[in-house]
Amino acid sequence: MLKKTLITLAVTAALSVNAQSAPISEDVIQEAFHPYAKSLPKVDAVKPGMTINAGNVDSVKAYLDPAMYLFIKNGDYEMKVGETTSFDLHKSYVDATRKYSGDVKLGDKPGEISGSIAGRPFPQEPSMDDPRAGEKLAWNYKYGYNWGDSSAIYPFYWKYRNMNNGKVERTVKMNFHFLNFTHRTQQEPFPEITPNPSNLFRGIYVQVLEPFDVKDTQLLIQRFDDDLKRDNAYLYLGFQRRVRRLSSGQTTDAFLGSDVMIEDFEGYNGRISDMNWAYKGTKYILSPMYNHNDMELDTETHKDGEGYQVIKFSGKGGCFPEITWQLRKTYVVESTPVDPNHPISKREHYMDAQTFIIPRNITYDRKGDMWKSWTIGQAHPDHHLPINKGTGVAIDDSFSMVDMQANHCTTGQFKGVVDPELTPPSKMTVQNLRASGR
Amino acid sequence: MTKKITTLNNVAIGVATAIAMSYGPTVSAGETQWSGYVENATYFRDKKGLSKFRNTAQAEFAKPIESDGWSNISINGVLRATYDGVYDLNDDEFGKNAGESYLGENWHGNNTASSSAVLNPGVAFPCENDPALCNNLDGYMDQDENDAKFSDFNDELDFIRELYITADKQLANGDIFNITFGKQQVVWGKTDLFRVLDVVNPVDYSRHNIYDELEDIRIPQWMLTAEWRMGANNVFDDQNLQFIWNIDKFRPHNLGTCGQSYKMVDAGCFFASSIQGGGPYVINDVEEYDWNLKNTQFGMKWEGVYGDATFSLNALHYRQQLPSIHALGAPGSNFGLFDIHFPRVTLLGGAIDYYSMATDATWRLEVAYTEGEEQPRDTNGYKETDMLRYVIGFDKNLIMPSLGTRSAFLISAQLFGEHILDHEVDMPNDEDNWIATGLFKGFYMNNRLSPQIIVAHDFAAKATAIAPSISFTPDNHWMFNLALNVKTGGDETFPWSVTGGEAGGGQTEPLARFLNGPIGVANQEDEIQFTVRYSF
Repeated sequence: MLKKTLITLAVTAALSVNAQSAPISEDVIQEAFHPYAKSLPKVDAVKPGMTINAGNVDSVKAYLDPAMYLFIKNGDYEMKVGETTSFDLHKSYVDATRKYSGDVKLGDKPGEISGSIAGRPFPQEPSMDDPRAGEKLAWNYKYGYNWGDSSAIYPFYWKYRNMNNGKVERTVKMNFHFLNFTHRTQQEPFPEITPNPSNLFRGIYVQVLEPFDVKDTQLLIQRFDDDLKRDNAYLYLGFQRRVRRLSSGQTTDAFLGSDVMIEDFEGYNGRISDMNWAYKGTKYILSPMYNHNDMELDTETHKDGEGYQVIKFSGKGGCFPEITWQLRKTYVVESTPVDPNHPISKREHYMDAQTFIIPRNITYDRKGDMWKSWTIGQAHPDHHLPINKGTGVAIDDSFSMVDMQANHCTTGQFKGVVDPELTPPSKMTVQNLRASGR
Repeated sequence: MTKKITTLNNVAIGVATAIAMSYGPTVSAGETQWSGYVENATYFRDKKGLSKFRNTAQAEFAKPIESDGWSNISINGVLRATYDGVYDLNDDEFGKNAGESYLGENWHGNNTASSSAVLNPGVAFPCENDPALCNNLDGYMDQDENDAKFSDFNDELDFIRELYITADKQLANGDIFNITFGKQQVVWGKTDLFRVLDVVNPVDYSRHNIYDELEDIRIPQWMLTAEWRMGANNVFDDQNLQFIWNIDKFRPHNLGTCGQSYKMVDAGCFFASSIQGGGPYVINDVEEYDWNLKNTQFGMKWEGVYGDATFSLNALHYRQQLPSIHALGAPGSNFGLFDIHFPRVTLLGGAIDYYSMATDATWRLEVAYTEGEEQPRDTNGYKETDMLRYVIGFDKNLIMPSLGTRSAFLISAQLFGEHILDHEVDMPNDEDNWIATGLFKGFYMNNRLSPQIIVAHDFAAKATAIAPSISFTPDNHWMFNLALNVKTGGDETFPWSVTGGEAGGGQTEPLARFLNGPIGVANQEDEIQFTVRYSF
């Protein structure tokens, strides 16, 4: 009897151990979230304060992605180098990683994952020997801290520019809102907002303010926790005054005629399962990450009572942000579309290892030629608007999408605000589109 | 009548202002945002010359108001001024001096009409040219030439396109209660070009038949709307319940008065004609509906999102916006005389759209069942009949690199069907009819250059409209649009009686116009159209 009891206890104990998260070592956590705690990257050829131009770019070629190297080599842009700084994510996200990531497993097929409640799903260093390392990094991006649990770009200026003559053809003023329904760590409620009958993961809501011909256009993208399910996308056209459903073909279309696809938003805005992901290695790359308040700002585009000003653009055609770039530990990941009719052949993503944002992308057309270059500048939250201080959100602060074949670009100037008041769940509803229209 | 409307407008403006002022001492106003445009639309019609020289200035404003108790409060307005110079520049063809040699000259030949015509051609702008006829019309189609020239300046104060105040109240459970009061458009349904559920506001078809954006031709009404936005629950991803109360005096569609350049199914000239040989006017009387509570219109809508489908269920108790023609007699007695009524109608309907992953396309279905509509009968008065209308729509975005752009083309197709449940053979409409529409729209030069083609085909009328156009938007302010609008068909003719000719022998008037529909009756309105707009 005693023996039987002991066996039962032993089995119960074993089961209860299995029910807890597999432990994640603190070393893994520290390396993942604080890669610059012990030392900053030191490269003789790249010094803070230097300017990289056509004359010296070859000496730092190893620290530039191929598209940025070409721009500088061609004299289209001169890159200012800043100090490498730590972009610490919010403690709640790091703690969630400690708590949950031990249980996360990939499913059999791309797009399948289990055990990911919140935090970074795969904090371990990627391995070239792991055939699914690229996919894991893509999941780290999807469930990254990104804009935090909710944020708004309030407002957001997109300028369509002729790169040859610098003419600004269109300026579109918008508001963008982001909200995570699940995988929440910092803003109550967490880890999820309920009720959520369709298991939405994230919502993106866009409202166009100017110019008149596209005023009141609104876009709502609802992404599901189930990655195998396609996004629901809704478009409200001001002149029609009604909400239209979008087919996914429109997510690879030029958004409002810009050089940016909906799928390009934030570096990649689609399903993991829409792409095949390949990890290509870890490098130190010059990335557009900086302190907004230390930059020379655009005094014309945006004026408000807070005195906030947006990032200035210069270089060829005004297509490049006037910012500093810093050496960052970067994962190079390649995504190739599963759909053979997709308008691109692949993207090269340069994922920031600490934050898992994607500050640099290169997109190749279906023939395999370099087509578009994406830069999204990240501002440190402690050197931006006062409300953003301490949020741990790397603030998307400036973007540039250059169509290298058409010599055309779209630039973006942000006022990013991490304020849950601006993005309640009601913002992410179809009714909100209709009610916010006319 | 017009005095009452003006009074109602004044009262309603006062109420809206009072609501705006009544939010208490915690109210403060934000900065008013203005936008708008000025536009010239110049159209030339085959064999007629200038058919439109419309100059429009439109200003829109939104004034946010801060309040402790309510949120998203704003006063919104759209003001519009229009002058159509066609009545000054081509007064031989359009305006108070325009004339026809026989009724229907603008859409069919004279092969049978001259020998046995029963009706005289319509009188242009009857309230300018024929006071007795104007009296019979009782305020319906009573525009004079100046009203057509300056279509926004009338007794109904249509230059105030919209003026409403809206406010949200956050409820304790997170739901939102919204109330909106004022002159507004309420848009229901999911259909382009045609209306199945989108029937809350009447439409001004005299502006450009069915071809202008509905936003510009809906006739805004003074309404009170209340919404209870419930958001998600354990079943639905989103829900909203909307109540509307249209307190405005009833206004029917504006089909265009005889003498205007756009007259939907040429009804304006039919209503302005008279029996030949000094006989009476075709229209004996038009029923008027005074403003009183009993004559107001109301409805509700429940809409939501369930999985991949968005849906709505709609109910509306309103008045038929197209005229119901009551034949007063039969051959031998009062033949050819009509009264016009706008009967009470109850609509029940719904709409659903669904994104299909398999086709990577959106499918739309919209259905409306109405009770109380009336259909004319050419030998036996009229008949009340239930009607079923529906639209099946398909939308897909497709990138076609072979067409020289990396932007997706919008491909949209719709089939609009109408079924008369209690059909009679002498009704000038088929028991079932369908209109199919197709849209193919492309984008070049970062969407600044956009060609498109719209095709619509009316199966009963065997009539087709083809409207290719190309628009260019060089910058944030200017827009140029060049278009063709070509129609074929509309050749169906029959004697007075659709059943074979109770009277008039080979006479081909007047009810064929209804069978030939808005496309067929416009079969001689082929146009080249140029529009330039500057927006701010």
